[in-house]
Amino acid sequence: MMTQEAKNVHPADIMIVTIAKLLHDNETVFHGVSSQLPMVAILLAKKMHAKNLNYLNIPGGVDSNPRNLLSYSSAGEDIYNNGCAVFPLQEIFDLSMRGKLDVAFLSGVQFDKSGNVNASVIGDYHNPKIRLPGGAGSAVLIPTVKRALIWRTKHDARTFVDRVDFITTRGNVDRIITPLAVFKYKDNELKLEAISPLTTIDEVVKNTGFTVNTQGVRVLDYPTKEEMLLIKKIDPKGVRYKEF
Amino acid sequence: MNKVVNISDAISIIKDGDTVALGGNTLHRAPMALAREIVRQRKKKLNIIKTAGAHEVDLLVRGDCVESVTAGFISYETEFGLAMYYRKAVEAGKVKANEHACYTVMCALNAGKINVPFMPVYGLKNSDLINANDYFRVITDPFTGDSITVVKAIKPDVALIHVSECDEHGNAIIDGPVYDDVLMSRASNKIIISTEKIISPSQIRLKQDRVVIPGFLVHAVVNIPRGAAPCSQPGKYDINKKVLSDFINNKDNDGLMKYLSDYEYADKKMERKNVL
Repeated sequence: MMTQEAKNVHPADIMIVTIAKLLHDNETVFHGVSSQLPMVAILLAKKMHAKNLNYLNIPGGVDSNPRNLLSYSSAGEDIYNNGCAVFPLQEIFDLSMRGKLDVAFLSGVQFDKSGNVNASVIGDYHNPKIRLPGGAGSAVLIPTVKRALIWRTKHDARTFVDRVDFITTRGNVDRIITPLAVFKYKDNELKLEAISPLTTIDEVVKNTGFTVNTQGVRVLDYPTKEEMLLIKKIDPKGVRYKEF
Repeated sequence: MNKVVNISDAISIIKDGDTVALGGNTLHRAPMALAREIVRQRKKKLNIIKTAGAHEVDLLVRGDCVESVTAGFISYETEFGLAMYYRKAVEAGKVKANEHACYTVMCALNAGKINVPFMPVYGLKNSDLINANDYFRVITDPFTGDSITVVKAIKPDVALIHVSECDEHGNAIIDGPVYDDVLMSRASNKIIISTEKIISPSQIRLKQDRVVIPGFLVHAVVNIPRGAAPCSQPGKYDINKKVLSDFINNKDNDGLMKYLSDYEYADKKMERKNVL
């Protein structure tokens, strides 16, 4: 039985508000390609509690104030312009190597309970069933960034597996956010921290390929009216839905 | 020295089996006209170097020009998805995917730029990538005895870069995000530039601090307005969604031929006008 509230809320918006609240003021925060959802979350955080957050991206615009977000890319001119400085991608990686990048939004295709991430292949590495887009940023950022925030727009047992096919990387994963839930990496394993108000614990357990401890799991908040107004102001065209 | 040439003369510099670095990033400022000419000239067995690639890599693979792709990320990003010609070729064993992180491609090019055999990469650890790929090794720091992962240097034979403005000597300005183009221009043996616009040497001198590639490094300049199309060019044009969609969906050889011939006029327009 869904409330009136629930009927009108897209999981993207719940994820965006959840992610925005995980960002802190003054932090250096990076997102890469195919990252419309974290991009909007970063811009939302900057309008709310993290006004001095330093937004870094692939084209190299620092603290860009984009007027018109591109729907097809999160690596383009729209998030380079209207910045206060240019800090190219290589410099962002170098910064992380020095231990000074606070947050990176990263992804992957498979995750297991011990914090391994696979972004490389399904099947055998040298003769793969599926060759995935590749290590991109994750391979060097997950071991070095202070907090890696991973987001996925699908949550199923093929994503959260007992054991990944290949370990592209492992390291400082802080949280994994999906349309159904939030996992926190704690005591060397992924733990279920919260579930979306749009789902149930049973649905999360059913869609997760490793056993989850369901104790102490809270329910995420719906976005407030104010938060939705801010989101729509940042992203009137709805590029945040492109990943779904 | 006047380095402006026709596109066919520029691309004839490339030999089968060459290692070719491509500027731009994903669907932005990729050297598409130059890539199309590579396909037209039927170059073979190229080893492509890119940090994050999309349409240009997909086209070259579809055109049967590629032996291997060294890159951190190959995909059209969210809306257009995976690069299917590339992916299918890798899965069929026709193209070798040298998987890197975008950063390890940069580190490898940096090593090439300064003529050392490898570059240490602090962040590459805890990864199956290290044992699975011959261009990553773990060595011992001679000063501390600690282990460190290193990546083998990459020295491309040719870099193809599409720029905003360039003079006849090859002095080039890039508007908007530069991505890794400057690094590629240093690590590569030869540079072929395509430019939206040729400006005079005196105009270049008025913009000296914006010139990111000095002409003395450049071998050939080709005048190609819209030379990044159907990818985007900052301040000038966005992607052409219909062309990309047709390219992806019209999978047979006729589809490829139509794509190439549709761009033939635009790619060679300035030659016809005899404007240098």
